[in-house]
Formats: sequence, structure tokens, C-alpha cells
Amino acid sequence: MTKPVELPQGTLEMLILKAVSLGPLHGYGILLRIQQISGERLEILQGSFYTAIYRVERRGWIKGAWGESENNRRARFYSLTTAGTRQLKAETAKWTDMAAVVAAILDKKADKI
Amino acid sequence: MSLLAAIRKLWHSIAPRTHSDVEEEFRSTLNAYQEDLIRQGLPEEEARRKARIELGQPAAQNETYRRAIGLRLFDELGGDIRYGLRGLRRNPGFAAVAVLSLALGIGATTAMFSLIYAVLLHPFPYADADRITYLFGFNEKHPDGFTFVTLSKAQFDDLRLAGPVDSMLGFNPTGMQITGGAFPEEIAGTYLTENAGTFFGVRPLLGRNIEPSDAENGGHSVVVLNYRFWQRHFGGDPQVIGRTLEINHAPYTIIGVMPRSFAFNDLADVADVYLPFSLAPTISVYVPWIKLRPHVTPAAANAALEPIARELAKQHPERFQEHWHLALKPILWTFQENIGHTLKLLLAGVVLLLIIGCANCSILLLARGRTRRHELAIRSAIGASRWRIIRQLLVEAIVISCTGAVLGVAASYWLAKLPMVLSPDSFPAESFIRINAPILAFSIALALLCGMLFGLVPALRLSRRDSGHMLPGRQTGVVASPAKRRWSVLIAAQVALTLLLMATAGTAIRSFLWLMRTPLGYDPANVMRLGIRPHGDDPFDLGHRQSRETTVAYIEQIREKIASVPGVSTVAVGVDAMPPFVSSGAQSFEIDGTRDHEQPEARVMLVDQRYFATLRISLLQGRIWNADENNRGDFIAVVNHAFAMRYLSSSSALGRQLRIPGLISRNRYQVASAQSTAWRQIIGVVGDARNDGLDHPVAPAIYLPYTTLVRPYAQFFVRTQGDPLAYLQSIRGAVASVASGQTLSNSSFNGTLTLNEAIARDAQYSSQRLFSVLFSVFSAIALALALVGIFSLVAYSVAQRTTEFGVRLALGAPRKHVLWVAARIALVSATAGIVMGLAVDSFLGAVLAHWMQNAFAAGSLFAAAALLALSALLACLLPARHAIAVSPTEALRYE
Repeated sequence: MTKPVELPQGTLEMLILKAVSLGPLHGYGILLRIQQISGERLEILQGSFYTAIYRVERRGWIKGAWGESENNRRARFYSLTTAGTRQLKAETAKWTDMAAVVAAILDKKADKI
Repeated sequence: MSLLAAIRKLWHSIAPRTHSDVEEEFRSTLNAYQEDLIRQGLPEEEARRKARIELGQPAAQNETYRRAIGLRLFDELGGDIRYGLRGLRRNPGFAAVAVLSLALGIGATTAMFSLIYAVLLHPFPYADADRITYLFGFNEKHPDGFTFVTLSKAQFDDLRLAGPVDSMLGFNPTGMQITGGAFPEEIAGTYLTENAGTFFGVRPLLGRNIEPSDAENGGHSVVVLNYRFWQRHFGGDPQVIGRTLEINHAPYTIIGVMPRSFAFNDLADVADVYLPFSLAPTISVYVPWIKLRPHVTPAAANAALEPIARELAKQHPERFQEHWHLALKPILWTFQENIGHTLKLLLAGVVLLLIIGCANCSILLLARGRTRRHELAIRSAIGASRWRIIRQLLVEAIVISCTGAVLGVAASYWLAKLPMVLSPDSFPAESFIRINAPILAFSIALALLCGMLFGLVPALRLSRRDSGHMLPGRQTGVVASPAKRRWSVLIAAQVALTLLLMATAGTAIRSFLWLMRTPLGYDPANVMRLGIRPHGDDPFDLGHRQSRETTVAYIEQIREKIASVPGVSTVAVGVDAMPPFVSSGAQSFEIDGTRDHEQPEARVMLVDQRYFATLRISLLQGRIWNADENNRGDFIAVVNHAFAMRYLSSSSALGRQLRIPGLISRNRYQVASAQSTAWRQIIGVVGDARNDGLDHPVAPAIYLPYTTLVRPYAQFFVRTQGDPLAYLQSIRGAVASVASGQTLSNSSFNGTLTLNEAIARDAQYSSQRLFSVLFSVFSAIALALALVGIFSLVAYSVAQRTTEFGVRLALGAPRKHVLWVAARIALVSATAGIVMGLAVDSFLGAVLAHWMQNAFAAGSLFAAAALLALSALLACLLPARHAIAVSPTEALRYE
């Protein structure tokens, strides 16, 4: 198993949006999906995870509705709103840009400057 | 949308998900996680435990939710408020004193603000009342002597076209009679130009106002009723519209009832009925109210009116002389002039009261705070920030002040009426005191401000970090606690302000007593004035004016009938001769022999020979005229003492000659006797009776038989056995027996009024009484507050220092010394406060003397200081006694 990764501030919200964008999920499902995609490398604290969900819902990026879960239990399913789609796009672009810039700087060798 | 739905919607936008919704979601997550764990191979019991540990309590989840969506501050404030309320309930004595201190302060301030709002800021119900002005005329040689200007139809129409004029209302107040009933009733009517409805912009209570269409065909016979008349005459019947009212034997259709706040026109006489001007007799003049265009100042308008004034002077040189100008004054002006100072002074008084109330709360909170140090230290020790503690203390203070404000606003509803009751004539009849939106906003702002003000000092003090060291022991220990400077300052300030209020009250009471003790020069007890218009039953029939002799005979006939009513002692005739302020102005006269007085002036009083006996005005020299001389009217005069001193000091007054050139009939309403302007011999000198108000010295006066200038009205002065108003009904019958249409006048200038009531309505008298009563109330409240402050301070500090006193007593300290130690701080600060108050009073004395028209008396100041010192001493010693009652063994047991 590879080393666990800690998330920078505010990234969890973006990951939640991404997870939900792949299809409606309940809260625990979002957590599982993020962990699954990350290859179990992300350690997400359950407490802060729900705070993040509530915050994202409050901002109107996802919206919740009650439905049946895979094992016939009532669960609250979240889906991406239009604002959420826009937000995810913007966040993704920002993140990729930043990552590229930071990676480029870190890649530089002393003789090339 | 209903209010409830609106609140629900607002609440939903703040917290979209309910408690159970959040909890249910959490439970489903919990279950899913638990099942996952079981699937991974954990035993069921173990899985449930692990899930609980990682996810937490379902009950706590809602808090996480609210914190996540930013409701934490909201929840905490709610908690602080609940905690504050619970604290108040636990400490009812503290709560009652603190809330009452503020309720009194806020109540008095709100009441005074309501009054100021009603009287100065918004006294009239008219649209754009601040742009409505009176038209005055004045002579530039006597710029203080204003007279109201009346206009003819042509002048009125000319003025309406002037640049600065937006619109104009013309009116004419006239006495009228309601006929058709068993007895005719005299009422006050006012003709209004037909634009009245739009000019006033006041929505009638019922029906409609007078409209331009009412002018058609020489005027429709319609009438609009005043609210009070509607109440009096129709008992407030809502079905009155469309009914007929017979006025002066002609039928009028009632088309509207004005609301209570509409009391046009209180400067003249509030009318009972309003009629279209087109119905007025053709000779009627227009009294104008001019509404200026927006942003035109009266000064600018005055300048623009100057050419019109010149034009008028050219057309009517006999009425508008040279050096004559027009001036506009806002309709508010007369009241602002009369009452503005009074209200400002009262407002200053209540603000002092509010400050004292706030200081009191501060003292109480500080004193209570000492017992709360332990609690605050624990809060601070388990991680509460200083800001958090300050916030909690402030919220508690605001809870107190808001409770106080609620009580205060309720009290102010009643308090605001007090000045109106005490001094009814000083306020516009229209100002209807009520608690309205701006006043409510004022109170709420005041409450919050007070809460901040009196909560901040203790909050800052108590939240200091160093109180952390208090944690280990509950007791303060043996040593007296340090620094009580804040208390001392607050107590001293409170005492100083209280002294200021008390000294003001003392001065007010003293000047009122002085006013009450001034000799009147007449005996007002059991005398009333009755007015009549002796025209038979048609006051408008001016074409058929009776001769002088007929009118005099008619008046005499009525006088005799009134005198024959059992219980009536004497009846005299007088025209505009009502003391203490005689409305007839000064006239110039000539005196034989002496030329040393430039333009001598005196009040000319038209009375009959019985006037002096009826009012019990003493005769100093000579004699009063007899009945024959009274009928003739000419060649004789009686003067008062002030006249003799001023103009006849060189020799004996009797036998001297004077003449009054102005004593002629100026219009068709008056008839003069044959020789009214001829020389008159002074046959008597009478004592000075008040004729220029209670606060001014008696003006020189000449008494003449009223028959020398007969006016279209007269008044009787009736002295009775016991309350004169009790005889009113039988006197009405006696008057009606002379002529069936003859009524007693209802107007406020001319109508029924006892002489004692006339004194009570004197402006000076009523404003002095207002000051005395209100400032007495203010200072009594302030005194009570200050004493409560001192008392609770000493009581708390004694309770705090029980151990210390026990030790002192055990070590043999004399009881007197312990008593002194217990009361010292409060006594010293109270003394400092009194000294400060004395200093401030002598400094402010000059300012107040100007406002109260009376110097600060050293006597009343020291009396107030002594009273304050004595009560402060008592307030110190009563709780301090507990200090020496401490039993040493008892006190030391807890060490």
C-alpha cells in the first residue's frame, strides 16, 4: 500500500463535487468513492467530511433528496446542481493550472535557470 | 403571504434542514458504515463501537451541521440571552432594581421625545405643514408688534399668483347658531375656501372634505364636522353623513367628519363646523394660510411679497400705513417660540435621569460581578476568550435594558400625557401624543445604547485576565479587595447629577410659590365670566344693527335677569376685561397739564360700575361712577394705582382730565357714545388688579363705562355663592327668558370660564407648575435611584467582606471603626458627588437662570444638598450595620 496523502485546505469540497458529478450518491457513498478513486491513499476524517458536505450543500453546489440505497435503506442522495457543475469546472481548471505551475518550478534544475 | 409563512420562509433560508432530517441522514450513514465494518469481518458489537467512536453521537450531529452552515454565533447569542434571563430570574431583587432604574429613565426619555415629536417636529396633520405660513403685517418702527393680515377677495386672488406661493387657503371664523332644536346653541363655524381638501391633505374620518365643486351656484349648502363637535352633538354617530344640520335657520347637508387630530384652527378658535367660503356673507375677509413652494424659505418669500405689500399699501392707505411690511411665519412658529425652551429643559432633565439610571445599573452589575468572579474565572480557565466573556456580560446587560425599555415604553404612554394635562394651553390642540414608529425606534436605540453603556464598564472590568488567580479559593480572603475607584466615580457622578436635578426642582418650586403668592388685586373665587352676542337671534344681520341705547338696554336687561337667579350675588358687565391677562391692548391718551410723557399709553377697560365690587377690586380714592353716568358713558374715568403712580405722581389724581382720541367707532360693528373722545375727569383711583399676566407688573389702566363704545358682544362677571358653574343651567334659562334666541357664547375667548380657571390657564402659571411638578418627579426618581445605588454598593461590599469584619472585630476593633470602614467608600464618594454637584450647579446656574427666568436660589440649593447628604448617610449606614452584626466566630469558621 502506498503512503497516505493529506489534503490541503479546501480541496475536500472539490473532491466531493467530483465524486457527485459521476452520479448521485449518499454521504457515506461519497466518502467511499473518493477513497476508492484515490486508491485508498486518502485518509478522510469522518467528522470533518460531513462538515464539508453540509457546507457544499449550503452553498447550493449539491442538493440532497431522500431515496432508497442499494440495500433498501432510506438514504439522502446528493446530486450536482448547475452551480455545482460550474464550480467544479472552475476549481478543476484552477487546480490544474496551479499544479502545473508548481510542478514546473519544482522541476527546474539549477543549470537551466 | 401571511406573517407566519414569511417567518417560516426566512427561517428556512437561514437553516434549510431540520433537526430530524440531519439526524436521520446521520443514522443511515452510521448504519451503512457499521455494515461495511461487519462485512470487513468485525464482530457486530465491535463494529457498532468503532462506528460510534469515529462518527460521534447522532445528537451532536445537528450542532456540527449548524456550525458548518455558520449559525454558531446565532446559537451562542441565543444561549447568552437565555442565560441572562435565567440570571435575572435567580436574582429577582437585583433584576427588579436594575430593570426599574432603566424603565424609569427610558420611560421618561421616550415620553419627552414623544412630546417633542408631537409638538415641535410634527404637531399638525396637514400635508407639508412645514411649508404652511401665516401672513403677518408689521410696522418697521415696531418690529415686534405683529398683527394678522386679512385680505379682500381681490387681494387674496392677487397674492395667490405670487411666485413663491404654492397654494393658499382662505378662511374666516364666524360665530353661528344651531337652530331647529328646543334651545338654540352657539357654535364656532369657519368658512374655508373650496380648495380646503387638497390644501390640508387630511383624509376625513367619514365622508369627504370641502371640494372645489362645492363653490358652484353660489355655494352648496354642505357642512363638514369637527371631531369634537361630532362627539358632543351627535354622540359620534357613524350614520351622520347625509343628515341635515340647521344652522342660522337654514338646512345644511353633512358631508364629512374630520379626524380627531384635525383641530383647525387653534390659533383663533377651533371650529365646530366647516362651510364652503362661497356661502360666507359677501363682506367677509380672507384670513390666509400660505403654502410656499418647496425649498422657498420664509425670508425669501418675504422679499418676494414686498411689491405686493407696496401695492396693498397704495390701494388701502388707511389700513396699511407707511413703514408697513408683510412677513410670513411658519404655523409652527408660535408653539416653538412658546414651548421650545420648556421642552428642551425637560429633555435635559430626563436625559440626566437616564444617565443616573444607567449609572445605577452599572453599579449593580459591578457589585454583582464581584460575586460572579468565580464563575467567570472558571469560564476563562476552560478556554473562554476575553471577547467571549465580554460578549456574554454585554448580552446580559442588554437583556436588562431591553426589559427596561419594554416597561419604559409602556410607562411613557402614560407619562407623555402628563405635561398636556398640566399645561393644556401650551400645546397645539392638534398635537395628539402617541407612541408611533419613530418613537418606538428611538426607544429601541436608546435601550441598546444604554445596555452598551452600562454594560461595557463592568464587562471590561470583570473580563480581565488577572481574575484567573481568583480560581483557587471561593473566598476573597481577609484582605480588603483593591481598587474600587470605578464604583466611587459612578456613585459620585450619580450623586452630583441628582443634586443638579434636585436644585432645579427646588428653584422651579420656589418660583411657582412666588407666583402663587403674588397678590392678584382681585378675588377670583366663585366668579365666572359669561359671554353673549346681543343681536337677538340673527348674529349676521349686521344691516339691522341696533342703536347704542337699545343694545345697552338689552345688555342691562339680561344682566338683571342673571342677577335675579337665586344664589347669584352680583353681576357686572365688562368687555374684554378678563383678568389676569386683559386682551384689550394699550391705547395712547392725553393728560391735561403735563407734557413730560411722550406718547403715554394705558389699557382701556370697558366695564360697568359693578365690576369693581364683583371682582372685589379695592377703591383707593374718590368714587366709582353711578348708574346714570354709566348710561351716558362720557366725561368720567377711573384709573388704577399703577396709572396714578406713573402719570399723575406730581399731584392728586382726582379731578385731573384725560382724553382718549382713539376711542371712536372704527367700523360698523361698534357704536361710540356722543362724546367718547372728549375730556374726561378722573373721579376715582382703584387698586391694582393683574391685567398683564401673572409674571408682569400691573400695567396702567383706565376704566370707562362700557357704554362709551358698544361692541357686538359683551361679557358678564357673575359672583355666586359656591361653585359658579353649578348655576349655569338656571342662568341659561334666565337669559333665554329675555329673548328666546339669545344663547351664551361657547367660544374660548368669550365663553364660560371661571376666574380661577383663567389663572390656571395663564401661560406663566401653567409652565411654572409644569416645571415644578415634573422636576419634582424627576428629582424624586433620581434621588431614589441614587440611594438604591449607594445602598446596594455598601450592602454588597459588606457581604463580600464578612470575613474581614469578623477578623477586625475578633482582634478588638471598636464597632464604630468597623462601621466607618464598611461605609467609608460610599460616604466619601457621595460627599465628593455633593461637592461636585454644588460646583456644577453654580456653574450652570447662569444658563438655567436664563431658561427658567429665575435665578438659582442658594437657599434651595443647600436645602437640596442637605437632604441628599442626609439620605445618602442613611443609605450607607443601614446596610453597613450588618458589618458590626457579624459574629467573629461565625465569620472565621469558613477560613
